[in-house]
Amino acid sequence: MRTFMVLVRKELGELLTLQMLAPFIAIIFVFMALGNVISAAGDTDEPTRVVVVDNDGTAESAVIGASLEAVGLTVVPVQDEDLDAVVTREADSAGLYVVVPEGFGASLERGEPAMVQVRTVMTGFSFLGMRGGAEVQNGLAAANQSIATAIAARHAPDVPVALLQQPLTVENQVTIGERTAATSAEAVAGFVSQQTTLIPIVLFIVIVFAAQMIATTIATEKENKTLETLLSYPISRTSLVTAKMVAAGLVSLLSAGAYMIGMRQYMAGMMSGVGEQSATDAMSGVMAELGLTLTTADYAMLGLSLFAGILLALSIAIILGAFAESVKAVGALITPLMMTLMVPYLLTMFIDLNSASPLLKWAVLAIPFTHPFTAAQNLFLGNEGVVWAGIAYQLVWFAGFALIAAKVFSSDRILTMKLDLRRKR
Amino acid sequence: MSSLLAVRELRKSYGHLDAVKGIDFDIAPGEIYALIGPNGAGKTTTLRMVATILKPTAGTITLDGHDVVRDAAQVRRMISYLPEEAGAYKNMKAIDYLTFVAQVFFAERDRVERAVSVARQVSGLGERLNDKLGSYSKGMTRKLLLARTVMTEPKLAILDEPTSGLDVLNALEIRDRVRELARQGMSVLLSSHNMLEIEYLSDRVGIIDHGVIRDTGTAAQLKERHGADNLETVFGVLAGRVRADADREAVAR
Repeated sequence: MRTFMVLVRKELGELLTLQMLAPFIAIIFVFMALGNVISAAGDTDEPTRVVVVDNDGTAESAVIGASLEAVGLTVVPVQDEDLDAVVTREADSAGLYVVVPEGFGASLERGEPAMVQVRTVMTGFSFLGMRGGAEVQNGLAAANQSIATAIAARHAPDVPVALLQQPLTVENQVTIGERTAATSAEAVAGFVSQQTTLIPIVLFIVIVFAAQMIATTIATEKENKTLETLLSYPISRTSLVTAKMVAAGLVSLLSAGAYMIGMRQYMAGMMSGVGEQSATDAMSGVMAELGLTLTTADYAMLGLSLFAGILLALSIAIILGAFAESVKAVGALITPLMMTLMVPYLLTMFIDLNSASPLLKWAVLAIPFTHPFTAAQNLFLGNEGVVWAGIAYQLVWFAGFALIAAKVFSSDRILTMKLDLRRKR
Repeated sequence: MSSLLAVRELRKSYGHLDAVKGIDFDIAPGEIYALIGPNGAGKTTTLRMVATILKPTAGTITLDGHDVVRDAAQVRRMISYLPEEAGAYKNMKAIDYLTFVAQVFFAERDRVERAVSVARQVSGLGERLNDKLGSYSKGMTRKLLLARTVMTEPKLAILDEPTSGLDVLNALEIRDRVRELARQGMSVLLSSHNMLEIEYLSDRVGIIDHGVIRDTGTAAQLKERHGADNLETVFGVLAGRVRADADREAVAR
């Protein structure tokens, strides 16, 4: 145990260099900065401009402009002009145009639906860029309601306006386990997906990072000609392999923490930027009612599942690293491992394994790296047993690969796998 | 002669290639035994088997009565190996590297301190031991690695080309250190291409070619036996690539 700790300290000393730590710190600051930039862009006090071309000039058409102003848009009124000409003239200052055509009020008077045109001049596809369009739609919905209220008051003064506008109300309920809450399934799925978006990204980055790191340490020992000396020391090969894996595992967890902190800041900035923070806060209450919250124990289990995934990746990568003749070769050598990770990463992002065909479900579950990717969703659903089984399954694979790694290091292969015998004397 | 190291019928094959084909030799306590031969003769493979890094295909190696395969853990505590192109951890300070190695060998703090003190004295690197190994020249690294090899006071030091790539002064210094340590009782298994070094350092020489030891003896015995005036010629004669001096003179007459 003493020699093992000496080895772990040596490995940590080799790994925790300034060159290694600087990117972790940079990650936190870069993501924080990104979040702040997005938040600042979303928080801009300058309201979105919308040009309202009123070619009707009636009291009804005036409701459109007033409703758009009521939702916080700056309305630029234009009268009796061709839309294309207005777009050409206003191209630099506005991208949203609402046209109220001539005869709008008359149509309503006749009891016929009237039409307005909305034109959006797109210059990009970002979420923030689309925010003005959503505001216009809100304004037009408000206008619809105002006009409907006026028509109802005129034609059916004895019937409550609310009944005419919305005779059918829907109350959605979602049941998870034994708990039920008034919300829609789409809202719950959307919220869970939003809250767990970061996890697979972080998992993927961290596991690949861990694999690359340990394969590099082995390749560096070979390239710097320190491995041969190390192998002649009174250290068991199992201790040597395990110490390298433990040190790399600890550094990987450190990197996972850095990524999580950085990405949380980024997501917080993004949510505030797109104005969804209040919706998120409201939904959090519903999620608590449904028991869809992660407790400290859940986070610990999630960490354990990630750690098991890291250990497994390390045990595979240490074997792959033994084949590396130089540090340059490491990237190519760990490609098969990356592909094994990529499959569950992509599949679990787009497919609900619980509703997939049994063949696909079990095929994906057979890949040990699937389990850290599905752990968060299972914990939300209270399926702790499935998560424990996933951790155990990964540890079984880890034990198998760790044994192979110890065998490789105990045999001549660790040197001869890359040796050119023609150079031997 | 009581031997510290006994190598018997040692063989090593890599697939179809027989690198070592049944060699025997002994090393006595305090003796410097040199193994010389052309590239690919089986020297480094032999050294690696003695150093417990490679496993023999057949035959035995015993050190102080311990089999190097069965009792590898015990053997590793008694040996120290300096590979030909050994490097060091560039991000580590030299003193931390020495401490790390000492801690691997010894649990007791005073033994660790003694080993580091031996290394400090043998390396002669003084204050530079506080510098990172990445800033070391080749000569400094080699001195440090030699100090690391002997600081654990091994019964057998295995030195593969100990002065390879060093300038004359550094090489002389290292040779003197090796001789001094052998006088103090450390046995040495040495491999080198430098015949002057072999003559200066070794008590006995084994000439190996194509995995077989062709002849063994002191440098003087070998030269006399093969009618040569230097070890290089003996080496060439045994490898079948050079005629002995006496033959050459006869041909000239």
